[in-house]
Amino acid sequence: MWLRPKRIRTRLTLYYAGMLAGVLALYFAGVSVLLFWQASTILKRLGEEDLETVKGLLYHEDNGEVNLREDYHHHSDWKQVQERLLEILAPDGTILYRNERLGDRTIGGPPFPGEGERGYSGRTAKMSDGTPIILISRKYDLQGQTILIRVGYSESLIWNEVWGTLLILILASPLILAGTAYAVYATVGRALYPVSRMAHRAEQINSEHLNARLPVESEEGELGYLAGVFNAMLSRIEQSFEQLKRFTADASHELRTPLAAIRSIGEVALQEDVGPAEYRDTIGSMLEEVNRLTTIVESLLTLSRADAGQIDMQVSVFPLAALVRESAALLEVLIDDKQLTFTLVGDESVGVEADRLYVRQAVVNILHNAVKFTPVGGSICATIQCNGRSRVELSISDTGPGIPARESARIFERFVRLDEARTTTDVGAGLGLSVAKWAVQANNGEIGVTTGPHAGSRFWIRLPAVGCPDEGSRPRS
Amino acid sequence: MRILIVEDEEKMARALRIGLEAEQFSVQVAGTGEEGFFLASTETYDLVILDLMLPARDGMEVLAALRGRSLSVPVLILTSRDTVEDRVRGLDAGADDYLVKPFAFSELLARIRALLRRGKPEPSDRLKLADLEMDAAGRVVSRGGRELSLTAREFDLLEYLLRQPGRVVSREMLARDVWRETARYTPLDNVIDVHIAHLRRKLDEPFNKKLLHTVRGVGFILREDPS
Repeated sequence: MWLRPKRIRTRLTLYYAGMLAGVLALYFAGVSVLLFWQASTILKRLGEEDLETVKGLLYHEDNGEVNLREDYHHHSDWKQVQERLLEILAPDGTILYRNERLGDRTIGGPPFPGEGERGYSGRTAKMSDGTPIILISRKYDLQGQTILIRVGYSESLIWNEVWGTLLILILASPLILAGTAYAVYATVGRALYPVSRMAHRAEQINSEHLNARLPVESEEGELGYLAGVFNAMLSRIEQSFEQLKRFTADASHELRTPLAAIRSIGEVALQEDVGPAEYRDTIGSMLEEVNRLTTIVESLLTLSRADAGQIDMQVSVFPLAALVRESAALLEVLIDDKQLTFTLVGDESVGVEADRLYVRQAVVNILHNAVKFTPVGGSICATIQCNGRSRVELSISDTGPGIPARESARIFERFVRLDEARTTTDVGAGLGLSVAKWAVQANNGEIGVTTGPHAGSRFWIRLPAVGCPDEGSRPRS
Repeated sequence: MRILIVEDEEKMARALRIGLEAEQFSVQVAGTGEEGFFLASTETYDLVILDLMLPARDGMEVLAALRGRSLSVPVLILTSRDTVEDRVRGLDAGADDYLVKPFAFSELLARIRALLRRGKPEPSDRLKLADLEMDAAGRVVSRGGRELSLTAREFDLLEYLLRQPGRVVSREMLARDVWRETARYTPLDNVIDVHIAHLRRKLDEPFNKKLLHTVRGVGFILREDPS
């Protein structure tokens, strides 16, 4: 781990060069073995020839000693002959002759049984002084005397041959390695170029330029995929950033409206002397605006706390129908006042597993919304219906003006009020449905709005249910 | 009744002082935690109103120091922090009540009265204002000898107003004490207004003298008009 450069480019280059060096080393080793084997085969064959030559050059001296005519090999064109080690033995192992080069060493010790009897015995052996050699021996009949001729050649002859070839290869390898490393370095650099381009572009993306996107080289490539993923993330960030910006702008606007009212009411009242009754009225009107401000600030605080996940849910199981009835009872005076009819249909026994307080808050807010927008004499219908075994849907339809489909997602956003709602004098409007949305979602539920059966709006919330019948969901009405 | 206000914001302190003096309390104001602690530990007060956000020595420290000296004067905390933990922290530190800014002055008055009434006998179930009479236990109410037929909610509303005669009651107080709504952003204002209108129809319309009045921007008050 001591060699772990930070840059992918360097790392890949080193990795590939290392790999190649390893492969080359293996290759060289293989080549050496092959060369050695080949050279020793050749040497043995030449040795056999040499053996025959030696045999032809042997003669008995007058005293019966075996000797070699030394005048021939000088003409040999095979230089190894000069390196020849020669030993002639009697069958009992007595040394009859040793050439000068061998001196008083022995090539292979006493002969083993059958040595050189059937053809040539070629083998590698060690001389008495430990030098490894290639040894070829054969038995001959020299004028009636059986002799064993052994010729040997030092293995270093072969090694010299092998090293020579190997040296050329090894000397060439740095060039190969350097060439490969450069090629890898260049290729990786080219392959990684999009990354540096992406990084360069990413550096320029900040909160002011969230609309910029990373360059996508190709949709299919890994880097293209990466860029695509990052771009998708940027889109999400941009979206929430936009939402936040709009929220801040809307919030300031919402706060500014009552502030402006307070200011002008106060200033106008101070312009001329009026009676105490008028002053009372002025102050009262200012206090109304203060109440509006307070409501907005409190709702905002609740929502921001909810966003920060600082609200603990106290989950329990409770019957949904009873909760809807209770919420409707809370608003009963308003319902009666507008001569609306409220009906609740559905399974009374279905329970919901959630924080009762917050679900109630959501239901009250949705109901309140329905009451607010349904014209006098209209009707509001709440329906409880199981949606599978573990979900229950509560839908609240009204006979109001309804909500245009394009606005159906937006109305749950903070401070969003549809144009017709802006004309109402309701205090603190624009947050009720956001609070409802948050309350439902925090309880593992979903919330939405569609067009209801009477062209009014139909708000629905789905929550985790307990006590829904086993058999699938009943058909929707 | 002597009240000590520990509040660093001058406008707020002045408004509180004037408001409480108008209610016949004797009021002293301390602008810092140090001064507040000094006054509270050297003089006797019936109640301390303590702002939590004070320079140098904050309200919580002052409260802890007071309780450390085993001074048992009732303390009402004012703060702009309103999480449950903040409340618990304040009450644990020895506060007797807790009011979140911004609050309705009528609510502050109600809380002060409740704290000062502590240990006093339970209020009677027989309530009376001008020719309006209520038996809270029997849930019967009559005006000028004629029994009024009220819904349960209207009765609760009237009882609450009758128990604070001549004092303004805010919508927040009604939502919390009559409707028992804990979340302050529940859209109850319209509901309360309609109930008040219904109650007024039954209580005042058949009679000459109006008892139930709306104080614009503040709330409602039950009182006999001097006219």
